[in-house]
Amino acid sequence: MSFAAELATVAERLRRATVQVRGRSPGTGSGIVWRPRLIVTNAHVATGRSVVIESADGAVLKARLAASDRQRDLAVLEADTEGLLPAELAASDALKVGALVFAVGNPLGLSGAVTTGIVYSLARTRRGAPLILADVRLLPGNSGGPLGDAAGRVVGVNTMILRGLAAAIPSDVVERFLRDLRLAA
Amino acid sequence: MSASRRERSSTLQALSDDLATAVEHAAASVVAVNARPRIASSGVHWRPGVVVTASHTVRRDDDVTVTLRDGRTRTAALAGRDGATDIAVLKIDGSGTPAASFAEHGSPKVGHVVLQVGRTGAGGASATFGVIGAILEPWRTWRGAEIAQLMQLDMTIHDGFSGSPLVDTQGNVVGLNTSALARGVALALPLSVVNRVVDALLAKGRIARGYLGVGLQAVDLPAALTSKLDPPRSTGLIVLSVDASGPGGRGGLQLGDVIVAVDRQPVTDVRDVLPVLAPERVGSTVDVSLMRGGAPQTVSVSIAERPAR
Repeated sequence: MSFAAELATVAERLRRATVQVRGRSPGTGSGIVWRPRLIVTNAHVATGRSVVIESADGAVLKARLAASDRQRDLAVLEADTEGLLPAELAASDALKVGALVFAVGNPLGLSGAVTTGIVYSLARTRRGAPLILADVRLLPGNSGGPLGDAAGRVVGVNTMILRGLAAAIPSDVVERFLRDLRLAA
Repeated sequence: MSASRRERSSTLQALSDDLATAVEHAAASVVAVNARPRIASSGVHWRPGVVVTASHTVRRDDDVTVTLRDGRTRTAALAGRDGATDIAVLKIDGSGTPAASFAEHGSPKVGHVVLQVGRTGAGGASATFGVIGAILEPWRTWRGAEIAQLMQLDMTIHDGFSGSPLVDTQGNVVGLNTSALARGVALALPLSVVNRVVDALLAKGRIARGYLGVGLQAVDLPAALTSKLDPPRSTGLIVLSVDASGPGGRGGLQLGDVIVAVDRQPVTDVRDVLPVLAPERVGSTVDVSLMRGGAPQTVSVSIAERPAR
C-alpha cells in the first residue's frame, strides 16, 4: 500500500468510529464508538440527559447519558449503534514522545476533519492524572473525539487545547473509568 | 502473523517508530537550563562539558543549573554569551551524560522533516515536528550579526524550547532553535554558525563586533557626481548621526557627508558596510571616501569594538 493510501486508511478507520455529539450546550463535539452500543466523549460535550449523535455516514440517533464525571471530563453514552464499527483501541502506556498521532473530530461543523502531528509529551494534570500532549492542531469541536496512532487505533480522547497543544485523556484512563463503572467488556 | 500485526508494520508505523526513536536518541543530550524565573529553557550538551543554549533565556550570570535526562541537577558556569546570535555557552561537569551527535553529511534543505526536542524540567523530554520552511541567506539579525543559512521553521517554538536542538529524523542535531532573533518567527541557527560562536565564546567569553559610530542611509547622488565615480553609481550613504566619541566622529566624519566607498569598496547600501564590522576587523583602520560640499575627501577611521548594551 502506498504511503498516501495508508494515511487514507488510518484516517478512514478513525472516522468510522467517530460520531458528532450534540448536547444541551450550543455547538457540537465529538464522540468515539468505544465498543458496540457504547460511546465515550467528554463530560463537557455530553450535557443534558438525552443527547443526539450523528454517525460518519449521516445516521442520526438518540443516545442516553449513562455516566458522566466532570472531574475526569469523561462521559459515557449508550445508543443503538449496531451499524457502527467500534474503534480499535491501543494501550496508551506504550505511547512514546515523537510518535505520529491523528486527531479526528467535527470542528466548525465539519464532519470527520483529520489533523496530524506527534506526541509532544507524556504529562500529568494538576491532580496527577496522566495526560497526552500532542503537537496537533485542534479546534473546539474536536472535544471528545479520538487521538489515534499510526495504525488508526485510539490512544486518547481529545479534551482541550493547552497553549496550542492538543491535550488528550489516555485510553488507559478511559478503560479504568469504564471499569469503575462496571462497563468494561 | 495476524492481519493487524501486518498492518502495524506499515510505512506509517515505521515512520512513527523512527520519529520516536529519533526523539529518544536526541533527548539523551538535551538538558533543562535553569537560569530564569518560571519556566526553564532547553540546552544541548554540545561537546563534553559544554552546554549551548539561547542567550536570551539566561537571565542571570550566576546560580545557573542544568537538569539532566535522569533528573539530576548540575551547577553550570556561564562561559560567555553573544546576544547578536542569541547563543550562550555553559560549562558543566559532563561526565556520565552523552554529548550530542551531529548530522554529518549534506546541509539541511527546504522541506526536510525535522523535530525540536526540548526539556523544561525533571520530567521527560518534549518534541514537536515540522519541516524547514525556508533557508534565509544571508540574514541580518536585529542585534547586528549576519547569519548565513539561517533556517526558518514551519513550526511553533513552544515555551522553554529556545536553546533546544533541531534534529533530523535520525535524531542528529542540525541546528539550534531560538524564538528571539525575529519576533513570532521560529528560527534555527545552522551548525556552522553555532560552532564558530561557541569556539569564540570558549576562547574569549564574548564576540567583538566592529563599530563605526555613525547612522547611515542610502541616498541618490546628483547626476554630476555619478559619472565622476569609478565605477559610476547613482547612490551613496548619507551620514545621519554621529557618535562624537565613536570611531567615525574621531576620524572626522560629519553630519551630511555622503560616503561612496569604504575600504576602497563602493557602497550603495547600508549592508555594504558590514564586511568592515566583522569581528576580525576590530582594531583595523579603513579609508572612508566621501563627498562633502560637492568635493571628494577621504578620511581614516579605526574600527572599534561595539560597546556592550
